[in-house]
Amino acid sequence: MKPEPKSQPGEGINRREFLLRAGATGALIAGAAAGGYALWQPKHFVPGFEVEKGLQLPSFAIEPSKILPSLAIARGSDHNKTIRAAIGALGGMGRFVRKGDVVVLKPNVAFDRPPALAATTHPEALRAVAKLVLEAGAAKVLVADNPINSPAGCFLKSGLQQVADELNLDLLYPAANSFAPIEIEGEVLKLWTFFHEPFKRATKVIGVAPCKDHNLCHASMTMKNWYGLLGGRRNQLHQHIHSIVSDFALMMKPTLVVLDGINVLMKNGPTGGRLSDVKPMGTVVAGTDMVAVDAYGYTYLLERDLSELTYVHKAHDRGLGNKNWQETHFKEVQT
Amino acid sequence: MANPAVSKAPTRNRNQFVRTRVSFAESVAAVVCVLLMAAIGVAIFIKGKYFDPARFMLKNEALKSTVADIEGKSGTIRGDAAQPRRVVKTDAVTAPVAAETQPAAEEGYESTAPAVAKSVKEREPLEIKVDGLRPMGDTEFYNADNLYEKIDGRAPAYLNFNFQQLRCRSFAVAGATGSFVDVYEYRFDTPVNAFGMFALERDPNGKLLAFAPDGYAGEQGFFFRQGACYVQVIASDQNAKTIALTGVIAENRAKNLPADDTGLEARRRLPATGLDPASVQFVAGNALGQESLKNVFQGRYDFDGAKLPFFVMVATPAEAAAAWTSLREFSGKFGGKVTALPDVNGARLFQAEGFGTWKIIYQRGGEIGGVFDADDAGKARQFVEQYLQRKVP
Repeated sequence: MKPEPKSQPGEGINRREFLLRAGATGALIAGAAAGGYALWQPKHFVPGFEVEKGLQLPSFAIEPSKILPSLAIARGSDHNKTIRAAIGALGGMGRFVRKGDVVVLKPNVAFDRPPALAATTHPEALRAVAKLVLEAGAAKVLVADNPINSPAGCFLKSGLQQVADELNLDLLYPAANSFAPIEIEGEVLKLWTFFHEPFKRATKVIGVAPCKDHNLCHASMTMKNWYGLLGGRRNQLHQHIHSIVSDFALMMKPTLVVLDGINVLMKNGPTGGRLSDVKPMGTVVAGTDMVAVDAYGYTYLLERDLSELTYVHKAHDRGLGNKNWQETHFKEVQT
Repeated sequence: MANPAVSKAPTRNRNQFVRTRVSFAESVAAVVCVLLMAAIGVAIFIKGKYFDPARFMLKNEALKSTVADIEGKSGTIRGDAAQPRRVVKTDAVTAPVAAETQPAAEEGYESTAPAVAKSVKEREPLEIKVDGLRPMGDTEFYNADNLYEKIDGRAPAYLNFNFQQLRCRSFAVAGATGSFVDVYEYRFDTPVNAFGMFALERDPNGKLLAFAPDGYAGEQGFFFRQGACYVQVIASDQNAKTIALTGVIAENRAKNLPADDTGLEARRRLPATGLDPASVQFVAGNALGQESLKNVFQGRYDFDGAKLPFFVMVATPAEAAAAWTSLREFSGKFGGKVTALPDVNGARLFQAEGFGTWKIIYQRGGEIGGVFDADDAGKARQFVEQYLQRKVP
């Protein structure tokens, strides 16, 4: 076949040249699209566009029992006796903690408030749980929280530092390198910086939470307590507070949770500030199902209508717990 | 059809530039640019569709160099906390509760707080010199952007009242290990907003204070409004010495903060006798469903066994008269019978019944007020008449 003469200036282009140019343009478009697809990150996670995968916490939960209850409600005014009674009703701490376990206790130490104001985990509640854990043979007990305010001030003024000192517990303060991204398929919580240091060695995790009013999500109890493990500008999550609290039931599978309702912050939470905000309710609820524990706490300790506590319903609907605590195997005890 | 002879004529003295060929490199560059722009547009579109709260995640490492400039918290980004540490036993009183908190200048902050710009800019430390107390750390400062670092989920309640600045400091009680007093001074843009927040948190059983216009003592603290500040002085326990020192600090703060009741004139006119202090409310607008009733203070009175809600608004005489007329017309239109009552001490009054409850409304000069939602018309009228005759102190 005779080659077509090369086009000259002013003559336009010939068919061969047109095909070459069209082919080159098509190849460029295809290359750009392929490059874009290869670089595309569906999750668009962190500024900087680096690919980052978060860690996933293992489950610290124990095997459910067909004989022993999963929820215990103990009544009394003394923290030590009432918490012992509640955990005793669940089968004792030996059911949850074995010899050699490294146990993380997660109190709520969000504020530098004195214990009487019931805005933080009461030191006697922490003491009671820690003693039981130590008696069960734990090799090490870590106490950890990430107060958004000064951790030193919060642990000191809440009285928890003194308990940690007296019982020789390891008190972990958050530091810059204590955090790692955690990744879950939550409703809002997908990938977030997390106070991971305490959980590197943990074999069991126990939440020890106060029962209190909360300005934004109505109540702060055992599920909301895990909020204290998030880092970063977590106040942004307040915009989706019920979703994020329900996500905690997915994020953390604790061994046990203890809800201290001996004195309950009934209003002006989560900080409180007045003794008149606090009402003695003389109850401790312990269990393996956070949703059930919180459902009980909201109804009988904060004395409110459970239908308004959205995060409990969200968690229940997602199969993360049972809000109908009466349907669970529970036991009530009086000290 | 164009005539070739005509089109070629002008080229005689000047070479006409006719570009007939674009180089391959130029073409590639142009195509790449166009494609890149399109790709960027698509990427922005796709990225913007996702809500990813982690996008703004704080990277503590990146903030290390700014530790000294961070106000407020600085607790989790402290220079002395590079490693998690096991806390050793410390003196409970002298531990550095807030020593890491560094007051720092924040340029431009005053632009959001014109009413208190001066004091915000000064960032004056809380210096309280009381025998038996010593500071546990420096004064901490928080603004509307970082209040959550101190009170977390409680912050939105304060922001609703145009919170401007919190300064707080802790003081250890000498000779009482573990006892301390916390002082919180929440500054708002106006005294009215400070009152609003104070009223929202008020303890209904608190004992009224003599040294502050709006205040009470609780079992473990003192709470009052002074000027545009809502002050909380909270004891760590109910130890008598600690409580006494808490009271001393509260009085100290009340004396040192400037008095300013701007906008609270109507509050001052609510008589004290029989008033349930916890019932006092500020209604910014649309009080009693009336557009003309704004900046109203109201409270509930125990009067001769009857519970009587009573309100007062202070405005110009013309505004007060218009509001009185409007309320009277509204009561007649949507309630029952409206009756004019004899004037009392220069005030005109009307009585209205609606849905089984009674209103007695007066207007005198720039003041309008009265009892509403009363079950007993006689006692409501008696209360209002006594108020107008200044028989209710």
